[in-house]
Amino acid sequence: MAIGPPSSAINIQETSSNVPGTPAQVLVHPVALFSILDHYLRRTDEQDRVIGTLLGTRTGSDTVEVHTAFAALHSETSEQVAVDADYLKGMFDLCHKVNPQEVIVGWYSTGSSLNTYSALIQNFYSQETAPYPAVHLALNTGTEQGEEPSVKAYVSSPVGVVPKPENCVFIPVPVELRFHDAERSGLDLLIQAANSQSSTTSQPVTDLELLESTLKNVSDMLDRVLTYVRAVIAGEREGDATVGRYLIDTLGADTEDLEKGGFNSSLQDLLMITYLASLVRSQAEVSARLALASA
Amino acid sequence: MAQPFAAALAASLPAPAAAPVPVAPTYEAIPPSMTKLIDIEAEIAIHTVQLDGMVVTKIIKHAREAPSTTAHGLLLGLDLDGTLEVSNSFPLPHHSGEDGDKSNKTIARYQTSMLRSLKEVQADDSVVGFYQATTLGAFFNQTLVNTQAIHQEKLRHGGVVIVHDLSHTAKGNASFRAFRLTAAFLNAYKRSNFSTSSLINHRLTFSSILEELPLKIRTNPLLSSFLGTLTESRTSPLSDATPDAARLSVLPPSFSMLEVGSMGLNRNLEQIVEGIDNYRTEEGNIAYVTRQIARERARADAYIAKRKEENQARVAQGLAPLPEEDVTRLFKIPAEPSRLESMLLLGQIDAYGKSLGGTSGTGLAKMYAVKDGK
Repeated sequence: MAIGPPSSAINIQETSSNVPGTPAQVLVHPVALFSILDHYLRRTDEQDRVIGTLLGTRTGSDTVEVHTAFAALHSETSEQVAVDADYLKGMFDLCHKVNPQEVIVGWYSTGSSLNTYSALIQNFYSQETAPYPAVHLALNTGTEQGEEPSVKAYVSSPVGVVPKPENCVFIPVPVELRFHDAERSGLDLLIQAANSQSSTTSQPVTDLELLESTLKNVSDMLDRVLTYVRAVIAGEREGDATVGRYLIDTLGADTEDLEKGGFNSSLQDLLMITYLASLVRSQAEVSARLALASA
Repeated sequence: MAQPFAAALAASLPAPAAAPVPVAPTYEAIPPSMTKLIDIEAEIAIHTVQLDGMVVTKIIKHAREAPSTTAHGLLLGLDLDGTLEVSNSFPLPHHSGEDGDKSNKTIARYQTSMLRSLKEVQADDSVVGFYQATTLGAFFNQTLVNTQAIHQEKLRHGGVVIVHDLSHTAKGNASFRAFRLTAAFLNAYKRSNFSTSSLINHRLTFSSILEELPLKIRTNPLLSSFLGTLTESRTSPLSDATPDAARLSVLPPSFSMLEVGSMGLNRNLEQIVEGIDNYRTEEGNIAYVTRQIARERARADAYIAKRKEENQARVAQGLAPLPEEDVTRLFKIPAEPSRLESMLLLGQIDAYGKSLGGTSGTGLAKMYAVKDGK
């Protein structure tokens, strides 16, 4: 699923490419996107856009996974563009110490405009990622009037009879958000914070509270479905056969494995464990107190 | 009568209030509305910790990818009117425990160059604490305590440690908690004295080692709006899509909390058994040392008694008494064992127990919900 408004672009893959590993798909980890947003917030007044380096891995022959991103020092004026290569190298060495699997896979910039400087920077990063082509991630922060936040990925190919570094064609590559299932709850936490009035949430939340809110959510959805079904039965709305069949499939799910016997034995196990847990805790507490008493 | 005496006493003491010399005149220029924000001497105590959204994802990613379960890194940020705002973080490289001195130097060098690099791109570069990943709530260990003790001495406001629980996060409840060491523990730690009497003096149990600070997660407006775009559901461009494919969203809502599974209780029970075994071993060691102390002391006492008896006999016979030698030189009485390790182990066991209780409690609620929902 593309991030941002759907595009009608057809992604053409050049199969007979002589460059090895031209990516056909870019998977972005949320950390990379959030780092870019943070970098954008911390830009100086003179900076129109910010650029930085993308770190990640290449899996298979045509997939690039972007795991993280860090800012780059760069300056753009009407006459020239400069990127601090020493800074990039130093920062990469530091990141490499923590996670040796991650390599430079490309660069990012904010805003969705591609210009001559983009081509020059792309050329610079292509040298860093050689022999693989560099990926360019354009993140539109959506802060400009009339623009929606979106993420687009490009690879470049030289153009013209005599290829020059300032000329290249940016070919769009489909980009997807990808993260490990275990990290999902962290994103849920952020979404919850983003939706609240003060954009903050308090921690820690107990499992039971979370379960309660999830159940409330489900109950709301059931209410919505019920309203719809009642309206159809009363003849106020025209029923959709597809929706009906889908509802039967979803709500008709059975819980065979939780039949009487299974339920009771699981219940006993759980009760036993609850008992054990409180026993362990009280023993630990008593032991700590006894350590204080023995003198 | 009492009053003049107190006044006289106060007059005899050197005036303590006169110590703060008049500060630079610029200090006057701070308007009253700003005095709460400008806190040069770090006088406003920290009462809450605020974690930025980016830091949340960074910590989760590092904790999941790190080769060991004890991923740790540094937190950067600022304190403002009692709230410690953590705005950035970076992971520290995993070191293999061998030759500690060398790896300490490497880490120090890594830290300084990383901080310098971050400063160049206008990121916050003041260290406010560190984070530590853990599983099943058991974060008590020597390293955490040592690191935090060093931080609490060096950093402004003492810094905090943020504990991230991997296993809770995997189960659908991202868990972050902020802690710092209590004054009583720090006092005992500075004297590096964890003998029984010291524990009693400081009233230390595992629950009074760390104090928890309330923690808030904050997303900045830009991040909020971006997350809004990610969770927004759009109508599929295909007209004949099935109902579950008709609405598309990059981040569809998840209901992983409703999973009725084994919930990793086995692992948790194993950890408890392991923790109790470790505790037993540690207690055995302490008991052994204590017995040795008692034995040596008894021998020393017996020696002194014998010498006294001899002296009395000699005095009775009119001879000069033998000198009373220093017994500490003759008998090596071992130092009293440190109870810190056993205290930390107890804390671990308690944390495992707590997380086990929490999981099984939620499991019970879910099972009844499923049964009644049928």
